[in-house]
Amino acid sequence: MTAQLTAAVLGVLLAGTILFLVRRDHLHGPYALWWLGVAAATLILGVFPSVVPWLGVITGISYAPVVPIIVGISMILLRMLQLDIERSRQERQLRRLVQKIAILEAEMNTQRAPSSITDPAISTQLPEDGDWHENE
Amino acid sequence: MQYCLAVMPARDEQNTIVAVIAGVRKHLDCTVLVVNDASSDATVTVARAAGAQVLDLAVNLGAWGATQAGIRYALRHGYDCVLTLDADGQHQPEELPALLQAHHQSKANVTIGTYAQRLSIAKRVAWQYFRLLTGLKVHDFTSGLRVYDLRAIQILASREASLLDYQDIGVLMLLQKRGLLIDEVPTVMSPRQFGGSRVFASWRLVARYMLRTTLLCIARIGSRADASRAEKSAP
Repeated sequence: MTAQLTAAVLGVLLAGTILFLVRRDHLHGPYALWWLGVAAATLILGVFPSVVPWLGVITGISYAPVVPIIVGISMILLRMLQLDIERSRQERQLRRLVQKIAILEAEMNTQRAPSSITDPAISTQLPEDGDWHENE
Repeated sequence: MQYCLAVMPARDEQNTIVAVIAGVRKHLDCTVLVVNDASSDATVTVARAAGAQVLDLAVNLGAWGATQAGIRYALRHGYDCVLTLDADGQHQPEELPALLQAHHQSKANVTIGTYAQRLSIAKRVAWQYFRLLTGLKVHDFTSGLRVYDLRAIQILASREASLLDYQDIGVLMLLQKRGLLIDEVPTVMSPRQFGGSRVFASWRLVARYMLRTTLLCIARIGSRADASRAEKSAP
């Protein structure tokens, strides 16, 4: 009974912390949703530990206590992969922003807009540079 | 007549850059753009004083990130030709007009200035390996001396090219995938006066480079087949 109490307390604490962080605007959008999911799962497993052997029977894992470990590690791997994807996207954005700032700064220093540097004939057919906006 | 922009990525090159800028300005009638890749020395001041335009990157983006900044500048300002060269004085400015002329005469979208003799045995082995892997018929993948036409500029300014790390195989594979023609012209090069190669600095870096590039090549295998089909169907 003590083990169940410990798990329940941990689940409630985690869920409470995450709700608190979301309320305080420290976690945003998709991240908050993911962590709420984690909190809910912890809460359910903490309050109803009998879910674990039931999951063991369903999935055919004979040693039921490893079920939460397997699920947990899988979720961590998925989350890490997703973080790396997000990081690559941000790296791309960062690089392009640094380049863009350098270009704008150079233009600012010379006090010349791009159209005044190039031939008017060319600047009219300049690609409208749809790529120029960094948001994806 | 084409508007050509000479793009020079530079990181801590205050010792050589003045001579390189002067050389380019003497032999070519074009704007020289130095892209300062977060140098800690006086590269910016020295380059400005030498009459170059300067892009000052706030964060170190690496050789390709700096070059791409120059290419995006060229696209925005209506240049239809970009010549890239190293700021360390390895490329001889008197070779540049011949390289540009060769580029304009051939129908290639990209012309690489190659100095085949400088390649060490290790590099030759590596390049042979990458030639097999990529199907690119290029002798020197890392040469910083290149001429890009407008089509290449448009492709290389794109978001797709932003996560590359070097101006090498990744860039060439991207261009090949879009069906662009890549040509090579032999040039003469002088030995590096200061500093060392950024790619081949140590065995650890070489190993990392080989691994990364191999991964890049393997990941692009399917798109390579597309490109060769596109070439065949073209008139």
